[in-house]
Amino acid sequence: MTKHSIMFIDDEKIVGDMAKLSFEQDGYEVETFLDGESALERLQEKRFDVVVTDMKMKGIDGLEVLRTVKKLYPGIKVIMITAFANLDVAIEALRDDVHDFFPKPVKIKELKASVKRALGEA
Amino acid sequence: MPNTFFRRVQELLGRDHGAASDLATRFRAFQAVLDGNNRTLEAMTEMGEKLGGDYLFDVNYTRSAYDVLFAAVSDSLRNFNLLTDQQYPQLKDILTRIDGLVQRMLTGSEPVFQGQVLFYPEITWDLAEEVGGKNYHLAELANILQLRVPEAFAITTAAFSDFIRHNDLAERLVGLGSADKETLEELRTAILAGSFPEDFSASLTAALKTMRHRLGREGKLAVRSSADEEDGDFSFAGQFETVLNVPCTVEAVQGAYKEVLASLFQANATSYQRQLGYDLGKLKMAVGCVAMIEARASGVIYTAAAGKDRSQMAISAAWGLGPGVVDGLTDADLYTVAKEGDLRLIEQRIGSKAQMVVNSGASGVETQETPVALRGQACLCEAEVLELARQALAIERYYKIPQDIEWAMDNTGRCYFLQARSLRMDEPTVDGSDKGMEAVEAGYPVLLRNKGIVVQRGITAGKVFILRHIDELEHIPKGSILVARHDSSHFVQAIPILNAIITDIGVPTSHMASICREFNIPTVVNTGSATEVLQQGQVITLQAGERGEVVVYAGIVQSLLREERLTGAKLRELYEFRRQKYIMRYIAPLNLVNPLEQEYAPEKCKTVHDLVRFMHEKSVQTLVANAGRTRGTGGFFNRRSALHLLVLPIPVQIKVIDLGGGLSGEGGGKEMGFAEVASVPLRAVLSGMLSPGVWQNEAVPLRGADLLSGMTRAEDLTRDGAAVLENVALASAVYVNMSLRFGYHFNMLDCYCSDTPRNNHIYFRFVGGAAAITNRSRRIALMDQILAEYGFALKAKGDLLVGRLSGQSSEEIEGILEQIGRLIGYTRQLDARLDSDEMVRTLAQRFLQGDYRVTP
Repeated sequence: MTKHSIMFIDDEKIVGDMAKLSFEQDGYEVETFLDGESALERLQEKRFDVVVTDMKMKGIDGLEVLRTVKKLYPGIKVIMITAFANLDVAIEALRDDVHDFFPKPVKIKELKASVKRALGEA
Repeated sequence: MPNTFFRRVQELLGRDHGAASDLATRFRAFQAVLDGNNRTLEAMTEMGEKLGGDYLFDVNYTRSAYDVLFAAVSDSLRNFNLLTDQQYPQLKDILTRIDGLVQRMLTGSEPVFQGQVLFYPEITWDLAEEVGGKNYHLAELANILQLRVPEAFAITTAAFSDFIRHNDLAERLVGLGSADKETLEELRTAILAGSFPEDFSASLTAALKTMRHRLGREGKLAVRSSADEEDGDFSFAGQFETVLNVPCTVEAVQGAYKEVLASLFQANATSYQRQLGYDLGKLKMAVGCVAMIEARASGVIYTAAAGKDRSQMAISAAWGLGPGVVDGLTDADLYTVAKEGDLRLIEQRIGSKAQMVVNSGASGVETQETPVALRGQACLCEAEVLELARQALAIERYYKIPQDIEWAMDNTGRCYFLQARSLRMDEPTVDGSDKGMEAVEAGYPVLLRNKGIVVQRGITAGKVFILRHIDELEHIPKGSILVARHDSSHFVQAIPILNAIITDIGVPTSHMASICREFNIPTVVNTGSATEVLQQGQVITLQAGERGEVVVYAGIVQSLLREERLTGAKLRELYEFRRQKYIMRYIAPLNLVNPLEQEYAPEKCKTVHDLVRFMHEKSVQTLVANAGRTRGTGGFFNRRSALHLLVLPIPVQIKVIDLGGGLSGEGGGKEMGFAEVASVPLRAVLSGMLSPGVWQNEAVPLRGADLLSGMTRAEDLTRDGAAVLENVALASAVYVNMSLRFGYHFNMLDCYCSDTPRNNHIYFRFVGGAAAITNRSRRIALMDQILAEYGFALKAKGDLLVGRLSGQSSEEIEGILEQIGRLIGYTRQLDARLDSDEMVRTLAQRFLQGDYRVTP
């Protein structure tokens, strides 16, 4: 069985590093990115099963990542995490068909469960 | 706490008594201290949870969470100073220092202390990062525990940064993540060729002059690594260089210093750092210059014997200097000491000690053949073993966790400590997982049975790789079982690909042993003949049991392998993550545990938790002291003595400060009974405490291991400490605030119970205990399960539980308070009895059904 692949985008290195460590333990293939630009570039080369993105980033932010992914690769599920949870952003993300939305700090277990749901495994 | 209440108190106290404004102010300050403390503790548990590894968080989170905590504790302190008339000005200074340490962690900025050299007596609690773990712990042994440590000074991490800058190496330390062997080797060469800044050389020259003065011209030094995180969460055991027998001259020490620094980038050390998620180049290296001891014998103490019962201590010893034992060079003596009750030597295994390490002339050390007459002779007599054990136990008590201690004994029999660090241990498995021991499968010949000492238990299989030379480490195939004559801390390079390690010679107290436990690699040492019995390339199954059983089968015994191998994954935390988490060490640990102890002084506070605890204790005392004064003496309860002793048929004495309407009857009487309690919430909680059967009458004997993790000596429990050990309830008709201390643990209850539900609240806090932390945590789990039934919002962390409930009617509140009263009595000594998680569930169920039996 091939591994499921997850893309993590967060402008703070520690978030991606921790996510990589804990998801790789569960057998996922993980790539991390510090900004939306490089992540979207990578998506042109490689197909990921799930994208987990931070909301607030310089340049291309999480909402823009979400919109682009949904437009170009509608099959990929997007999960949003943000330290600045507010209802407006959440509603906007929901409109854009976000798979799930978590405030930071997010419990890794919950994020994993959400990824599983996104992959149709749970 | 509701502001409405302060208003009421003010009204109550101010309306009829003009002079009571002092009381109103102080009481408000008291309440504000409690409020600030509660918010601090909630922020602390919240941070502990979020930084504990189960959450993804960013640095912004840590910053904002810490800001909340700092604001809360600052509020507490401001009001505390008001309440106590600035009696404890030291606290502000301590908080500022803690804040400085945390801010440094948050911003990654340089230490405040910029000196290059610190003699051990100058090393204070807030200088851990400056001097590195090894120096710091050793200085604590000398300064706080007054144990014998050789003369020594530390060369600080600031000096390290100076050296790096001076030699233009700073940039080369960045981005080493994927650096290859050559790059690292070049870096080592550059460090070894480095020169010293002038002021650094000057400080070192002065320090060495002092050392020569103290040790004499012939005095020699051990120059040892003390990286900023060494001997912390990870031991780094044997990973960095130690240069022994170095003359007290600037040239010699500078040379040794550079060797130690360069070892940051040697193959085994870089492999170790990478496996643990360190970014290479981020560690700062402090160095210890410690006077050499002319050691007759040296060794290591594990204050909890590895793989066995924690009630035993293991002491290894060999002739000559320490490397004989820590580098596994020789078959050392092994003494086992029982810790329960009086220390007893219960077993001694005298090693053959064929070789010994000694000082070699003017500098350096060498390995020699041990004189034949000494080989079979025990290095230590029983009295010496027990004396070492006694001192080691003092160290374990101080740190509250089992220790890995290096020692040396000179020719006069004086014993010196050279290192102390936490001993990493497996949690003992609850069920007997050694079921496989009988399951010797037909067709699987046993190659080795019950030979050797289990360092790290586990069951695994793989192909034998017999290591003849250390250079072969690079050629070991993945999944091998490494079989070697001696153990070596250099094996760490191969650990990611190894399934197990077996050696002919070695002790469970070596550096390699520490490393194998850190990485959960099944390891057996001292089998005597593994390199002869096992064949290169042979497929074997190793079973290393918890109770020290060892079996090696030929072939792969599938039935045994079902037991899942523990992975080292949980250890592989990231450097940045750990740095964030480390902030908690300036916040959460509680050092001030027993108000009976001499140490209960403001200057002993080292963490935010200590400050909170200290402020609470002294706030209550201040109120009691003032309330005890009678009319006209200027006390702030100006009306009459407001302090009364409750006489109740339960094993707890409670003093009540009547805030108005808390007690009925004439106020003059000093002693009062339950009948005179008019405060609705106090009455409710007391009637719970008075319920039949909730106090477990027989005393629970604390086991040896419990006392070790405990905080003070047992006799303190029985000593009459009335002056400080007071249980106090501040009560009005509708309010109570109770502080109850039962020796080692502490309950705090704050409740408002009126006819208006939205003003009502219960706040309940519980912390501490004398039993082992696992048992204390179980007690917390039990309370957590019970209180959850009543809709409390609960936060539990370690042995701290905080519960909050609000908006209930007074009838509901009274019912819950009665249960809390019962719970207070019921749990008083329960921790020592809670031997399993199953028992927690059973007792919680029973309690909720009104059954207070605690027998299993």
